[in-house]
Amino acid sequence: MTAGVLPLTGSAPRKPRRRWLPAHYWLVAPALVLIGVFLVLPYFNIIVMSFRAPAVGAPYAPGFSGGNYLRILSDSYFLGVLADTVFLGFVTALVCLLLGYPVAYHLARTRSRFRGLLYVFVLSPLLVGVVIRTFGWLILLSGNGVINRALVDLGLAERALTLMNNRFGVTVALVHVFLPFMILPLVAAIGSIDPNLEAAGRSLGAGRWTVFRRIFLPLSLPGIQAGTILVFVLAMSAYVTPVMLGGAQVKTMPVLVVQNLIDNFQWPMGAALALVLAVTGIVLVWVYARLTGALMRGVQ
Amino acid sequence: MTKLVLERLQKRFGAVHAIRDLDLAVGEGELVSLLGPSGCGKTTTLRCVAGFEFPDEGRIAFDGADITDLPPERRDIGMVFQNYALFPHMTVRQNLAFGLEMRRIDRAAAAARIERVLGMVQLGGMAERYPRQLSGGQQQRVALARALVIEPKLLLLDEPLANLDAALREEMRFFIRDLQRRVGITALYVTHDQAEAMVMSDRIVVMFDGAIAQLGPPAEIYQRPSTARIAKFVGRANLLPGTIEASLGGASHRVATVLGPVAARHDKALAAGTKVTLAVRPEAAVLTAAAPADRPSFRVRVEQSYFLGGAVDHVARAADAGIVFVVSTAPSNALAPGTDASISFAERDAWIMADEP
Repeated sequence: MTAGVLPLTGSAPRKPRRRWLPAHYWLVAPALVLIGVFLVLPYFNIIVMSFRAPAVGAPYAPGFSGGNYLRILSDSYFLGVLADTVFLGFVTALVCLLLGYPVAYHLARTRSRFRGLLYVFVLSPLLVGVVIRTFGWLILLSGNGVINRALVDLGLAERALTLMNNRFGVTVALVHVFLPFMILPLVAAIGSIDPNLEAAGRSLGAGRWTVFRRIFLPLSLPGIQAGTILVFVLAMSAYVTPVMLGGAQVKTMPVLVVQNLIDNFQWPMGAALALVLAVTGIVLVWVYARLTGALMRGVQ
Repeated sequence: MTKLVLERLQKRFGAVHAIRDLDLAVGEGELVSLLGPSGCGKTTTLRCVAGFEFPDEGRIAFDGADITDLPPERRDIGMVFQNYALFPHMTVRQNLAFGLEMRRIDRAAAAARIERVLGMVQLGGMAERYPRQLSGGQQQRVALARALVIEPKLLLLDEPLANLDAALREEMRFFIRDLQRRVGITALYVTHDQAEAMVMSDRIVVMFDGAIAQLGPPAEIYQRPSTARIAKFVGRANLLPGTIEASLGGASHRVATVLGPVAARHDKALAAGTKVTLAVRPEAAVLTAAAPADRPSFRVRVEQSYFLGGAVDHVARAADAGIVFVVSTAPSNALAPGTDASISFAERDAWIMADEP
């Protein structure tokens, strides 16, 4: 033994055994299997299905073609429904933003002891199932519903207003249920803005509106971006609400997809419509994220 | 010339009386510190001057004009916040330009002013950085530059050094004080750090419980505190309860204490029999192994000594009187723990305060 160095225990240093994957990675295996079997495979099946040709008496005819896509993209009816769907998502997101921003501001800044209760109110639309919630809107909005009866009985309207079976009814119901998805990201973004920034802006000579426009709004953009994307995507792909409150007037892509798949037994066409909707949504969200991302340079 | 006047200011938050009847006049080019423990109302006072809070009663006047009800953006103030409050989505230049844009100063003039002020705070070349790319000290100077570039009439500083590490904090004290003097701007400075207030201020306002406890130049606050609480808050002090035995004419008094009769001073004659407290600063007390021949002293035993570099602090106990004294000496005069020693102090170093145990 040389002096000064502590003797090490006898065995040579053990070489760590290289594993193919660290053991804890295997913990995600069940989730991956679930996603693979119930999401990736069906999606793959939908993609394959969308290139099949329709047939009579069978789900699809043999062989592949792009005929379904050609029909969708050249038919003004389908394009119109697609445009309507995108528009519905856009309006819903915009109305949610306008209604949700003040609520989010209050929630982020309040020190009230009723804060928890306010969160319950904000989340309340999600506490009721979609069918029951939509029935609730039917009771309120129908021609003979609570609102129309009240208006007519009070003499405020001569006859019942059309509040449902049109875009208005669908938008109202969608805004109601998706508002929490706008408010929560906004609360997170606004809550992370230092309240002193407003004071600093005011001390430098900016009025309340200028402080909001130049300081507050840009800093809350990440929340605006997240909230609008969530609501837009959710509204575009909503099914139950447009079906129950839109009647024959409002046709959206999800309604059309279900019609083709289940009512008309047109699996290839339904699959193609579903994919057109998905791709449109992805492209629009990507473009939007790029545009807003450019505005947010320097925010984070 | 008086610049800023606060008159009989009152502010309540529910049951909390944040500001009580506060009167203050700040002169042109003067730096006045509001010093006090947290919750004493110093920040609320500053926020009232800034216009972020409005007093319940009283008046705030600037250059003779009443600004009590003006919103902050019309007060022409520059403010530096404890956490700097720089706009994170703007570069240093944009942060500085913000206030100039609000004042509709044309681009060329604004650019020149920004360059000049960045030079003053030694941040030339940092203009295109974002705040998060700067160190704490640099952010602090950007905050200072942003407040000064608009050439405000009044500079408000709310604990601007509290978030800096100790070495930088000391450096920035001198930096800010020097800058304030060079610009010649009237400034109100909030801090809970008495050393900071001492170094930087023309005058210090000591605040307790929403009211002014004492107002004066740093040396006066330190050497002639008006209450025991102030003596303890501003620097360290050995407090000794006593009773006036006799006024020896003018400021001199003989005071009876547990250590025996002691000579001490007050700014006016006090009647015999008045209960008082004496304050003796640790560095003013003299610790010697042998009792001095020329003046009264009392025997103590050194219990602990702490080497601080430039000085040694001794904790000494006068066993029969039950009094503990802290004495600071030069390292060359330090005594070891366990040593029996004598403590004495000159009359001018024993300050009499109206009794407040």
